Amino acid sequence: MSGPDTGHREEAAADLAGRRAEPGGDLAGGRGAPDGDLAARQTALVAALVAGAPLPAGFAPAPVEAARVALLGKRAGEVARHWPLLAAALGDAWWNTFREWADGRRTNGSLRDGWDLARALRERGALPPLGAEELATREAAGRYDGRHPPRPRRLPAAARAGGAVAIQFAGRVRLLRPARR
Amino acid sequence: MTVLAADTWGVPGPTFLRFYLLAALVVVVGSLVYRSRMLAGQPTVGAGQLGPQQVAYLNGGDQLAIWTALGGLRGSGAVGVGFDRRLTTDGPLPSGVTPLDQAVYHAARNHLHTRELARDQRVSWALTELREGLERQGLTLPPEQRAAARRGAWWVLALMALGAARIAAGLANGRPVGFLLIACLALIVPLVLLARVPWRTRAADAALRELRRSNIHLSPASAPAYATYGPAGAAMGVALFGTVSLWTLDPGFAEQAEIQRQALNSSGGSGIGSSGSSCGGGGSSCGGGGGGCGGGGGCGG
Amino acid sequence: MTGPSGVGIGWRPEIAGFVAELPGLRFVEVVAEAVPVTGPLPPGLAELRGRGVTVVPHGVRLSLGGAEPVDPARVAHLARVAELLDAPLVSEHIAFVRAGGLEAGHLLPLPRTREAVAAVVANVRRTQEQLPVPLALEPIAALFDWPEDELDEADFLREILDATGATLLLDVANVHANARNRGGDPVALLDRLPLDRVSYVHVAGGAERGGFYHDTHTDPVPPEVLDLVGALCARHRPPALLLERDGHYPPAPALRAELDALAAASGFPVVT
Repeated sequence: MSGPDTGHREEAAADLAGRRAEPGGDLAGGRGAPDGDLAARQTALVAALVAGAPLPAGFAPAPVEAARVALLGKRAGEVARHWPLLAAALGDAWWNTFREWADGRRTNGSLRDGWDLARALRERGALPPLGAEELATREAAGRYDGRHPPRPRRLPAAARAGGAVAIQFAGRVRLLRPARR
Repeated sequence: MTVLAADTWGVPGPTFLRFYLLAALVVVVGSLVYRSRMLAGQPTVGAGQLGPQQVAYLNGGDQLAIWTALGGLRGSGAVGVGFDRRLTTDGPLPSGVTPLDQAVYHAARNHLHTRELARDQRVSWALTELREGLERQGLTLPPEQRAAARRGAWWVLALMALGAARIAAGLANGRPVGFLLIACLALIVPLVLLARVPWRTRAADAALRELRRSNIHLSPASAPAYATYGPAGAAMGVALFGTVSLWTLDPGFAEQAEIQRQALNSSGGSGIGSSGSSCGGGGSSCGGGGGGCGGGGGCGG
Repeated sequence: MTGPSGVGIGWRPEIAGFVAELPGLRFVEVVAEAVPVTGPLPPGLAELRGRGVTVVPHGVRLSLGGAEPVDPARVAHLARVAELLDAPLVSEHIAFVRAGGLEAGHLLPLPRTREAVAAVVANVRRTQEQLPVPLALEPIAALFDWPEDELDEADFLREILDATGATLLLDVANVHANARNRGGDPVALLDRLPLDRVSYVHVAGGAERGGFYHDTHTDPVPPEVLDLVGALCARHRPPALLLERDGHYPPAPALRAELDALAAASGFPVVT
């Protein structure tokens, strides 16, 4: 049911394996399981849908896989709403780019997902100019360490991405220089 | 009485200062009242009857009116942009368009760059027509009216010149000039105020405020569905909220056509904090602009 | 604060200007999580309230079907939104959206077991205690079933409604989607549901993709769903029908046509 394994997939799976040790945490609980099993079964299903964990016992693979893919599509749409320029810059490649990056990776919310994706693309040198401008603007406006939710910057700041330079003063952000095209 | 030095110009300092201040008061108050009347404007139409390009002109002058026309034409699929970043015509000119629309469409057919639109002959004719219409409607000030509104500044300048002459004479005469100097310097404030004449009337300010309020759904913060609002909605969005609306409407076009990025009267939607709710992510849990909701077979909602 | 009546539409900021100009509109729904409880109401909503239009908050992230208890902060938010909007009722889903600290980002189906019924009932009661108004529950659309299902859909819903006293928010598009994807006769299901306990009805568009019918809310309402609306109204017409659209918003005339089609299928007055 799942695509190629990625590091993140393995991380998520390890994370879930840890949870197995918790009381009542039998992830593989099946038909006719005793009371108290619902929490574990729900966790296992969500993990299979969004974190790359294996399909829990008893489910029909094809419909769950269809749900998993639809969910990724929905997530991509929501991230595109938060990062319209990044999504527009990638155009038709947006869906695949996002899917490739997000598959098996649990969400941190659309704003952070888009942010992480933009940074990942920058590292690979695959961030298109318009996306670079959006990233620079966001980084000038907010401080984001990749682990905690972004916070608005109080002090004046400058940020750059792919040649784009954005500055922020008193909460107002200006794109000083566009990205290299 | 020992006469160390005669009164400058034969008028005692305190007397001159008194009359000088009185004159200054009369000139400044009179000019402000006159200016205020000139700037009020007599609107002949309600805010709701203004077209997007008129609104754009009032909000941001020639350039914003051009962007607005372009937004409307793009919204109706009439114009596009080529790989050489020059405008193209993608569809027929819609009916019921303005002269500026026609001019911009014509320019697109000639593959002009967006930068060159403002210099295009037909475009600038259309802009003149637009401006004159707004003058007739009491929303912008014709040059002669702006000159009249600025008249008070000349009076203040004349007063300052008189004061300066008296100061120079007083200094030569060895008389104290401190108070007069202060009075003269203080006149700089009304001088600057009176010299700066806006190009739109207060009636136009009020109309813009009203339009921004009634069209708040077109502000970029609402992520307006331009397909639903149609070309006129797209144009009004650009007119009221700047080219940031064009970027939301069609980022690909805006980038390729090198439309300048400018947000008017809006936060520009930087996104920080906008999704900071405890529930993570603002909007609805369903759908998603880019499409492809349907996860798990149901937005359910 | 009158209950939902007639044909309504889901209020979204993206189409606020369109919704504001529907002359006959008496009823909208708003995603509860999108309404801030500090600061003023979104301008479009305040204006609708000023016109006396009923606004129903619709929660999507409470996770009433989760095995763990509902988050009191989320319940408090929903309650506050209901007060702010002077709403006659609020609605949520019979579904779960997170488990074990993982967000699904979507409404997921529950196993139709007694254990799940008990979990939903406990959470609904917790929620009802804090809400100033009645709660309507909406069954969701799903692509898959749980292997441990013990009850059928109608019995599952009836047990929950009976135990909680909640009303039903019936989504006709979900009924269609479930029948298409998981089998069963949609009209037969209507016959087995307590239609007299329906507070209002959802109608939405969807699309076929990869052999499944996806309830996307971003596509037009298919004729099969409209037919189902007709079949429902022929049995027991609900007090109100609401069109849900969540993206890919069409030109205004197309959206108006969908509202008109709902009015025609149900016999309610046209709102456009």
